[in-house]
Amino acid sequence: MEAKLELTIKKLRLQMDLTSLLLYIVPLIMLLTFFVAPIASIFTGLAYFDWSLLASPFYINLKPVGAPVEIRQIYGVTLVIVKGVDMGVILNSIVNSLLVTFFATMIGTSVALLVGLYEFPGRRVLAVLASLPLLVTPFVNAYVIRLLYGFSLQGNTISYMLRSLGIPFEIGFTGLAGITLAQTLAFYPIVYINVLAALGSIDATLIEQALNLGSRGFRLIRTVVLPLVLPGILAGATLVYILSLEDVGAPIVFNYRNVMSYQVFLFFQEYTAIGRTGVAAALCLLMLLLAVVPLAVVRKYLSLKYYARLARGAPRPLKRLKLGPVGMLVAYLLVFPIVVAAAAPQIGVLILAFSERWVGALPSGFTLNNYYVLFSKPGVFRGIVNSLTYVATAIPLIAVLGFAIAYTVARIRVAGIGFLDLLSTAPLAVPGLVVAFGYFIFLHTVAQGTMLDPLVSPATVLVLAYVVRKMPFTVRSVYTGIIQTPQELEEAASCLGAKRWLTIRSIVVPLVWRSIVAGLLLSTIYVMSEVSVSVTIGALGGDIVSPSHTGPITFVIMRLIQSPSTIGGAQPQAVAAAMATILMALEALVLFVAIARLAGRGQMLISV
Amino acid sequence: MSSIKVVGVSKRFGRTVALDNVSLEVRRGELFAILGPSGCGKTTLLRVIAGFEVPDNGQIFFDDEDVTYKRPDERGAVMVFQNWALWPHMRVYDNIAYGLKVRGLPKNEIDRRVRWVLDLLGLKGLENRYPHQLSGGQQQRVALARALVVEPRVLLLDEPLSNLDARLRLKLRGEIRKLQKELGITAIYVTHDQEEALAVADRVAVMRAGRIVEVGTPREIYSNPKKLFTAFFIGKTSVALARVEDVAGDIVYVRIGSLLIKAVNHGVQKGDRDAVVVFKAEKARSEPEWRDYVEVRGRVVVAMYMGSMVEVRLSPPGYNRDLAFYLPEIEPPKPGSQYTVYLPLNAVHAYTVGGEEDLVKELLEED
Ligand SMILES: Nc1ncnc2c1ncn2[C@@H]1O[C@H](COP(=O)(O)OP(=O)(O)OP(=O)(O)O)[C@@H](O)[C@H]1O
Ligand SMILES: [Mg+2]
Repeated sequence: MEAKLELTIKKLRLQMDLTSLLLYIVPLIMLLTFFVAPIASIFTGLAYFDWSLLASPFYINLKPVGAPVEIRQIYGVTLVIVKGVDMGVILNSIVNSLLVTFFATMIGTSVALLVGLYEFPGRRVLAVLASLPLLVTPFVNAYVIRLLYGFSLQGNTISYMLRSLGIPFEIGFTGLAGITLAQTLAFYPIVYINVLAALGSIDATLIEQALNLGSRGFRLIRTVVLPLVLPGILAGATLVYILSLEDVGAPIVFNYRNVMSYQVFLFFQEYTAIGRTGVAAALCLLMLLLAVVPLAVVRKYLSLKYYARLARGAPRPLKRLKLGPVGMLVAYLLVFPIVVAAAAPQIGVLILAFSERWVGALPSGFTLNNYYVLFSKPGVFRGIVNSLTYVATAIPLIAVLGFAIAYTVARIRVAGIGFLDLLSTAPLAVPGLVVAFGYFIFLHTVAQGTMLDPLVSPATVLVLAYVVRKMPFTVRSVYTGIIQTPQELEEAASCLGAKRWLTIRSIVVPLVWRSIVAGLLLSTIYVMSEVSVSVTIGALGGDIVSPSHTGPITFVIMRLIQSPSTIGGAQPQAVAAAMATILMALEALVLFVAIARLAGRGQMLISV
Repeated sequence: MSSIKVVGVSKRFGRTVALDNVSLEVRRGELFAILGPSGCGKTTLLRVIAGFEVPDNGQIFFDDEDVTYKRPDERGAVMVFQNWALWPHMRVYDNIAYGLKVRGLPKNEIDRRVRWVLDLLGLKGLENRYPHQLSGGQQQRVALARALVVEPRVLLLDEPLSNLDARLRLKLRGEIRKLQKELGITAIYVTHDQEEALAVADRVAVMRAGRIVEVGTPREIYSNPKKLFTAFFIGKTSVALARVEDVAGDIVYVRIGSLLIKAVNHGVQKGDRDAVVVFKAEKARSEPEWRDYVEVRGRVVVAMYMGSMVEVRLSPPGYNRDLAFYLPEIEPPKPGSQYTVYLPLNAVHAYTVGGEEDLVKELLEED
């Protein structure tokens, strides 16, 4: 017995020197304290909660209220208002997420198949347009979608264009349907990118064989291609589902409160009302389960599938097929218009940023003033300063902890490594609002009155939340970098007498620095464009009228759109758009650099 | 310089048994080769000795020091990897100087020793290149220089020449042996090339499926293999299943089909029914050139010209398989004709089947 223990200790000592102990323990403690504990403390908020409350029609209503589509005739013009029905907060969220997932998957997969399999005039244009919405502009994108396609008394852009074409027909989206539309247009490129990546890993031989057997067109896609890219479709669809569930931007912009995310968001706007804690906690728990369970199932399925495909080694690239006449019709009459419609908001954001006014169908008046306001209004400028400060604090932490985790998972063989791996990627699956709520409950309770209390120092808490939520991008990039480097390079150093720390410093880091930089760049833009925690915890430091508030850029953007009167001026939403274009430019730069660096492995940018 | 002692080491990866109770001893200053087919556990054994893997059972000693649970950086065993593992971000000079810097030697001492080893290995003038700017042979030398410059107590070479072309291999293996002897370093040299092992080593261990089959000098291993697997694995060989007719001490008389031949006896007992005969097929000639020889007669199945030799496949009378022989510079005999080849007695070995049934089956199938 004793001898056995001694042996175990001797073996453990081989893996665990001081360096590897620190690399393992520090991130583990960090994640346990600032990820597991906050999430777990949501349960404490449920101690006295009466679950039957959630059965009330406000939360679950099996007799939907309202007509999904309303058609009116006004002065000989047919007005179609797409609204959706109210099924209660919980069902609304679920149904909306499922619809968004369905539409996004259909569109994303179709576009990817067209772009990846076929050759036709305009293919490159389609590819570029389809990736435009990846440059996320929180709130502003949804706001422009409302201008373009939303229902408003001044009319929207799409109806205006129909009218100019002589079609007496107006259409407008509002309410839950507006959210569904906005999220579909914003999220479908995630499916697109994942499926495109999956197509890239198919060996051409498989498709050529099917062609030789006479399989063509839709039959080829259904029987050969779809089964092969199913993992990509599933990965993309799951991610879209989670993003839709946790999204608070579209609900705020369409001012539709009866979804779970908005209800949790409201908790922060009225956090003094302690009576609401129970409901918010219950909704958080529900959101968490709704996000994590499907993801776990899909991942289990995916990991099996991926191994089956990896076994075959490097694929031979596909030679694109010629698109037949039916395919042409589908491409130009169906797919192109949808992709253009989804890219239009991104272009709209740019236009809005340089416009004096855009309230009705069309923008008017070119101006650079919106950019001037960014720097001249203290409360607005403060957001930029805050974001930069948070990035400058969070990124070094992400660099150190992310590298530590990636190295530990890749190279150290002791029990519990799988758990660390899981812990470090799990934040990707947890809705941001759940993280925000957990942080609030946990830190406001155990650290009340200290610098970790969100009511005392929202900035500190924000940075911690950013580190936890956006570190996975760095972990994955560095991990991939390390496992692609032969371990012998490290072993060669250690047998020459180098201790682990020296090996890391002189061999590992110099060899994987590109992956580290790529990962940190990704983490940077995802910190900059983070919404959920930014607009909740970030709001605790006061509104944007105060020049010393603690909100980052996304918080300022939200306030400019949600409550334009706070700041005044011609059109605060246009200032928000100007701010968003800065984010967009940054994202374009980073995604371009990172994608170039990662050589076509675009799917790792976003896939779970 | 240390001796190496491996005692009862086992190592499994999941269900694969990579090392199965391996024991061996390498003397100080010895060049010891480990020879075996792909996947038999050679690399794993080296990695256990270097400290990259911990054995499930057993111990490793350098001299009298038990190093089983020491980290690689505490052992002083330096490995030269199959793919050389040169650091791509360092110049040749820095690759070589690394081990000396780790040891904290003063700069001028480092410089002196790096220059010495550059000189020794004919790498002068290349010190400022990066590894990718070198030829395969040069990279191999840098890998060797990087290991030798620290004068390791134990040098482990894992198929150091397998990525090079045949001519370069021939040249470098001579150099490796020369350097090892000059510097007096204890070295283990892993290879699956039997000729390389026999040419370079003081002693050779033959491995199969995670076990050491036999250890001996190159001459012992080649001319008088004690074990069936060794006999089969070394040289170009043919294997036949035979009936035992008579055992006369060191000699055994067996029948292959109806063909009666004699063979060197390795453990075949009077009263045994079967034996396995291994022919060193490359020793076959068309005329008897020795006093003590063996005649193998049969119908020619195929005869193929192969450059320096001719492969002749014979089917002995009454035997249902054929045997390959390799004869130098003869006119290939006609298929269907009767033909006789001659081998010296020490090229024909008979082994008992008892205990080796699986191996026998495998060998006969492989042929
Ligand atoms: N890290 C590992 N994980 C799982 N199996 C392994 C690992 N390393 C080796 N093995 C297995 O152990 C056995 C021995 O492998 P090893 O690399 O030692 O063979 P080898 O004799 O060096 O072969 P080669 O001549 O091809 O280099 C093989 O079956 C191999 O698949
Ligand atoms: Mg090997």
